[in-house]
Amino acid sequence: MAARKKSRTDSHDDSDVALSTSAPFDQLYRDHVDVMYRFAYRLCGEAEAAKDLVQETFLNAYRAYDRFRGDAQISTWLYAIASHACQRMRRKRKGEPERELSLNEFVPTSEGEFALQIPMEGLSPQEALENKELRQILDRAIAKLPRKYRMVLVLRDMEGLSAKEVGGILGLNERAIKSRLHRARLFVRKELSGKELAREFHQDVATGRR
Amino acid sequence: MADRVRTYPGTRKPTPHQGHGKRNCVKVLERLSAYLDDELSGVICKEIRAHLGDCPNCEVFLDSLRQTVQLCRHRPSPPLSQDDRANLRRQILKAAATA
Repeated sequence: MAARKKSRTDSHDDSDVALSTSAPFDQLYRDHVDVMYRFAYRLCGEAEAAKDLVQETFLNAYRAYDRFRGDAQISTWLYAIASHACQRMRRKRKGEPERELSLNEFVPTSEGEFALQIPMEGLSPQEALENKELRQILDRAIAKLPRKYRMVLVLRDMEGLSAKEVGGILGLNERAIKSRLHRARLFVRKELSGKELAREFHQDVATGRR
Repeated sequence: MADRVRTYPGTRKPTPHQGHGKRNCVKVLERLSAYLDDELSGVICKEIRAHLGDCPNCEVFLDSLRQTVQLCRHRPSPPLSQDDRANLRRQILKAAATA
């Protein structure tokens, strides 16, 4: 194998891999790696950690493939493996307890706070997301969410799964999923409707810099 | 649950919501995600709609929550490159073989 010094960028040459009988795995990997990377990136917020998570997910899937009973969709099964792997990896990194989000912290206390809006100026979500500051504040808000809320928000509002599916993936009832989702959305809304973004957004629209 | 107020026949006021005190707004805010996701009964939806029609604050709040969900839905994430896809596959199979 050492004699075959192929470039790491040669994506077509996989013959140096020890396992040649990996056809079912290859199919699984080919069909789902893009979705799992997208999910991992949304959970981790950056590429290297997302790749680690994808690696861990498919390694666990490879090992557990025989035990996959087929009573769940294979994508749901992979989401569950990735979610558990993410929880384990994060627990290893930092042991601090997670913050609970209380509804009270999102209830506006003044008229001014009530009236705060996300500066989208009649733009579609896609158009609004062309604004760099808005993208950054959205990404930062999602990254700042305590993990258990972020997982639900990513699975429900970004990956588009149903509350029932998310409940199955995280081992929680639908009521708990809906409660976490609402708090997560309120948290992100609060970050997006801050005055700082409104000011920068208006400046950018005025100068044509989006 | 504090918001589950028992009502008796004949004692209920004709308007579905009773004023715009902060408590009513809080009750509505608690349910806005369920409202957006169409998970509430017709009666509760009607009560919320009536409140929203009379309470610009909650209407604005609902709009911004709806926009938040839309922004999350439409936020793209970068794709995995062909190189990374191949390298990851190789690493996974190597790790599986050595374990």
